[in-house]
Amino acid sequence: MEKLVYRHNRITRTTHWVNALALVILVMSGFQIFNAHPHLYWGSTSEPDEAFLSIAAVNEDGDVRGFFRIYGWQFDTTGVLGVQNTEMGPAPRAFPSWLTVPGYFWLAGGRRWHFFFAWLFALNGLLYVIYNIANGHMRKFLLTPKEAARLPAMILYYLRIRNKSPQEGEYNPLQKMAYTSVFLVLTPLIMLSGMAMSPQLDTAFHSLPAMFGGRQSARSIHFILTFLFVGFTFGHVFMVLATGVLNNMRSIVSGWYKEKGSNLPEPVWLQGFKEEMIQKPAKLPVSHQLTSPEVEEIIPKQETLPARVEPAQQDNDISKSATEDAQISPESSQQTLSTHNNEAKKDIVE
Amino acid sequence: MNLSRRNLLLGAFQGAGLLLLSGCEKAFNSLQQNRKFLSLLESAEGANQRLQRLVTGKNKLAQEFTEQDISRYFKPNGNPPPITMDYATDAAKQWSAWRLEISGSVKQPARFSLPELRSMPSRTQITRHDCVEGWSAIAKWKGVPLTEIMQRVQPSPEAKYVVFYCMDTDDSGAHYYESIDFLDANQPQTILAYEMNDRALPVEHGAPLRLRIETQLGYKHAKYIRKIDFVASYDNIASGKGGYWEDQGYEWYAGI
Repeated sequence: MEKLVYRHNRITRTTHWVNALALVILVMSGFQIFNAHPHLYWGSTSEPDEAFLSIAAVNEDGDVRGFFRIYGWQFDTTGVLGVQNTEMGPAPRAFPSWLTVPGYFWLAGGRRWHFFFAWLFALNGLLYVIYNIANGHMRKFLLTPKEAARLPAMILYYLRIRNKSPQEGEYNPLQKMAYTSVFLVLTPLIMLSGMAMSPQLDTAFHSLPAMFGGRQSARSIHFILTFLFVGFTFGHVFMVLATGVLNNMRSIVSGWYKEKGSNLPEPVWLQGFKEEMIQKPAKLPVSHQLTSPEVEEIIPKQETLPARVEPAQQDNDISKSATEDAQISPESSQQTLSTHNNEAKKDIVE
Repeated sequence: MNLSRRNLLLGAFQGAGLLLLSGCEKAFNSLQQNRKFLSLLESAEGANQRLQRLVTGKNKLAQEFTEQDISRYFKPNGNPPPITMDYATDAAKQWSAWRLEISGSVKQPARFSLPELRSMPSRTQITRHDCVEGWSAIAKWKGVPLTEIMQRVQPSPEAKYVVFYCMDTDDSGAHYYESIDFLDANQPQTILAYEMNDRALPVEHGAPLRLRIETQLGYKHAKYIRKIDFVASYDNIASGKGGYWEDQGYEWYAGI
């Protein structure tokens, strides 16, 4: 049996997409800014020849080659990094035009985009955090010491060495660790390391660059953390693709997610069958066993289903509706229409 | 969804991705040229200036370093040194004919020679220079605090900005200039430097006189200064954005 559940409300959906847009622009405009001086250093200053990382170009007898160098290890990256092949011939630039905002080399432009979308990222993140603290959702995915103690057990479970999942609640310890590190470590650190590069802020807060080991260290850490964000996002997108891209996209665009299984009273034989299936976690597809910020709720867990209905919708219990595909929305009949439309669209796309 | 459908879909995604990339690049570039969109982006500058100055407070000092921290190499960035005969002659004569002109909305316009500036109370500081490009270098600077000059010329109440006119030009002959407001002008480390690392300011670093404004990025630190003007507004100077790089799109507020 399949049914539609209202999984993401308007604030969750809006902040998600604003965040996605802001992150993409921040990374791409950040590359533009990096291109102005494509070398990284440790310490307060950038002493020549002390860069631990460089993405640059060398002229080898008229042949312009791009390279990526880290701690003396050098790789020829002509065409992608260091040198880009353009219609007008090879052009030296660390990150290629298709990875930067704006596309052509313009540091001032990159800075304008970066600082505007940094505000958007921060304010949007603030709204998300306040909203999720207020509705109690934040508590569900923060890693507590008690949960941290379950991490080894969770890993063993995923490696299929341990039979029983140590998970309690909606999120497993590994998921909690992923979210907690993004919310409490990665995001504050990338913001602080960005601020540490500001000469104005540094006048009042000498400890700001110092906590990273100097202004150039802060710049390097800002750059490295970017790739942790990129890595997390790739993991997230991979999970979205691996666990039913159309259904996932519908739920983050319209809020409605098609869930297998139902809360309707079921024949006893079916309940017994399901319990048996759920207690054999090793049969879950591998893709269901990774962590990702948006995907965890996909794994149908019979006993927590009612908890996943948004609080606003609880008095209008959608699970009682017996329609197979679309449910009558608690908000308006329009929503029902759009749900049907989504169904229709989905067919066309497929 | 069966397998061939999935392959078809993935192929479509790949194609769309490539189209998206080149499309995005074009879209970003045209947005960059769009005046309205650009002013939206530029709205962040005012927010940065207000918030940063609010949390920083007045007259906070930039971190000062020790002799050991001084950079072995300090990149002379920006325009090449002025190539005019006047500049060359002045330099050859150890700046004895050079005068710093102070004008605009001041009660007592003045002209100062280099020895006069050197005889005023001075400040020595070892500070970090942060270029907008991303690099940093530490050097020792000695000069006369801008407040000393202001005490002597007495800016009028209508003066809001201090404009620095420079002798260096770009390829097209446009003169470098910069402007700061009184908040930064009054910051104790804002000095007109005539010495770098215990020696007379080298030509490539702005001889005979350059600005050090430690709250802001490198391009605010005007070199080769010939005239300082106190003005109510910089709207009518050059392209009206308050500085050589500002006229080309960089922020007037370079504290970030």
